[in-house]
Amino acid sequence: MQSPRVERVTEAVANAGSARPKIEILQVSKQFPAEDPARGLAVSNVSLTVGQNEFVSLLGRSGCGKTTLLNMIAGLVAPTQGQIAIDGKPVRGPGPDRGMVFQSSALFPWLTAIDNIEFGLVNRGVPKVERRRHAQDLISLVQLSGFESKYPRELSGGMQQRVAIARALALDPEILLMDEPFGALDELTRAEMQDELLAIWQKRTKTVVFVTHSISEAIFLSDRVIVMSPHPGRIREQIVIDVPRPRQRASVQFAQFYETIQRAIE
Amino acid sequence: MSDTLGTGSGPDGKAKATVAPGQGECRPSIEAERQPGWAVSRHLRQTGLPLLSVAVILAFWEGAAQLGLFDASTIPPPSRVLSTVWELQTLGFPRGSSLLTHMGSTLGRVAAGYALAAVLGIPLGMLIGRSLRASRMVLPIVTFARSVATLSLLPLAVLWFGVGEESKVFLITYGCFWVLLTNVIDGAKNVDPALIRAALMLDTSPRAMFYRVILPSALPYIFSGLRLALGLGFMVIVGVELIGTSIGLGALISQARTFYRMDLVFAGMVAIALFGLLIALGLSWLERLLLPWARESK
Repeated sequence: MQSPRVERVTEAVANAGSARPKIEILQVSKQFPAEDPARGLAVSNVSLTVGQNEFVSLLGRSGCGKTTLLNMIAGLVAPTQGQIAIDGKPVRGPGPDRGMVFQSSALFPWLTAIDNIEFGLVNRGVPKVERRRHAQDLISLVQLSGFESKYPRELSGGMQQRVAIARALALDPEILLMDEPFGALDELTRAEMQDELLAIWQKRTKTVVFVTHSISEAIFLSDRVIVMSPHPGRIREQIVIDVPRPRQRASVQFAQFYETIQRAIE
Repeated sequence: MSDTLGTGSGPDGKAKATVAPGQGECRPSIEAERQPGWAVSRHLRQTGLPLLSVAVILAFWEGAAQLGLFDASTIPPPSRVLSTVWELQTLGFPRGSSLLTHMGSTLGRVAAGYALAAVLGIPLGMLIGRSLRASRMVLPIVTFARSVATLSLLPLAVLWFGVGEESKVFLITYGCFWVLLTNVIDGAKNVDPALIRAALMLDTSPRAMFYRVILPSALPYIFSGLRLALGLGFMVIVGVELIGTSIGLGALISQARTFYRMDLVFAGMVAIALFGLLIALGLSWLERLLLPWARESK
């Protein structure tokens, strides 16, 4: 058993090491309008690459710019400096190559579970029969059979997030961006959802960028954990979790990673 | 790991464990519908209790009038109002104008003004609400126009549109329009930004964003605007019908007063109240039908 590998990352690019990066973030900063410019600097000179089919977590305290960074990859927020590229093409806005899951499931309350999943397919003009079939597949993938025609408010928090994941997967994006998707769930549901997310990730190979403030969640899920620090938001360290899955949450190795990351955060 | 669905982590499972029978009484839970005993008493509480209070008031009123506690010509008892309603429907007041004629005429005016207000107010409100600049520009105008008591415009309306139907419809439209507009603007403004972001990540065109996200999200506000506006319409109509017509519930009431026929005044009032009740019921039925997702959890 080797000890966790820690790489110091300062100005250098946090590199995935794979031949062709899926996501390239190059010296990106985001300045929000604020009275004190230092406080408005959400992300400062961040560079990071994410490899094809890699599962990367952005971990840090609130205010470390992890959500802003994710929103910039999504194309929902434009960087004030630097560049973000996907498959070598610069990001200019949201695109069908990226799907997103939000902390507050952000389901359309006026649509049933299956209609929520079909939302993007309708936009794309997919015929109804095909749409239904595709959505049904996703319903079974996220284990919600029998709940197709429930409205979001009739579903528990965990179920809502399953619908949100299925909705993001419906357009078959290559990249899945997840903003603390399980942050509002109770401990037990959360562990179940993590298991299921990994199962889905292994079934439908995706590149995943996962924002979280839970150390154990990041260790359990990720190939690589990017530790960020606040004021201004910067990458502090990256930790490669080179442990085969399924991982044991209570193992000694897990505890070692936990300690390493905790030290990195402080 | 697939157990989440079965472990009862949903709201139902929790309700079962925490709602004690005593609590259920003042705060009907989902559970109440499941147990037959609760269902019956709940049904009784919902429809029986309101009916009971009405019956008690009517009984006291009737009894007091029979005992001569107050003057039947100023406060006619319910039995008298009922026979007047019948007289009004068969003989008419003025002779030949039955209760249904009055009601039909009033309903027609409200419907015309209300429909016009909806046709103008809903699209306009949606447009204004989605533009920060427009809503800033419009806010003082809306606040001012809303504060003007509609009936105070009666002389102006008569001057502009004459004493005919146009001035009446104009005033109804005016009253309904501002209330509706305010609500629609609120609805268009208060779209959850998370929903917009979610839609942006799902290949949503600007057009689809309006019709598939903003409009449905504003619908509950639009409905509450429609409900408020309708109530206002029926309030305004009575005043509007005071002049320039002998047909309509407002006209009926004002003429009955000049003849000191308080029984007729009461009959007219009951008819207006009936309208209000039926339309409120109809709207809430329509709302449940069209917005099943927005239903209050009972």
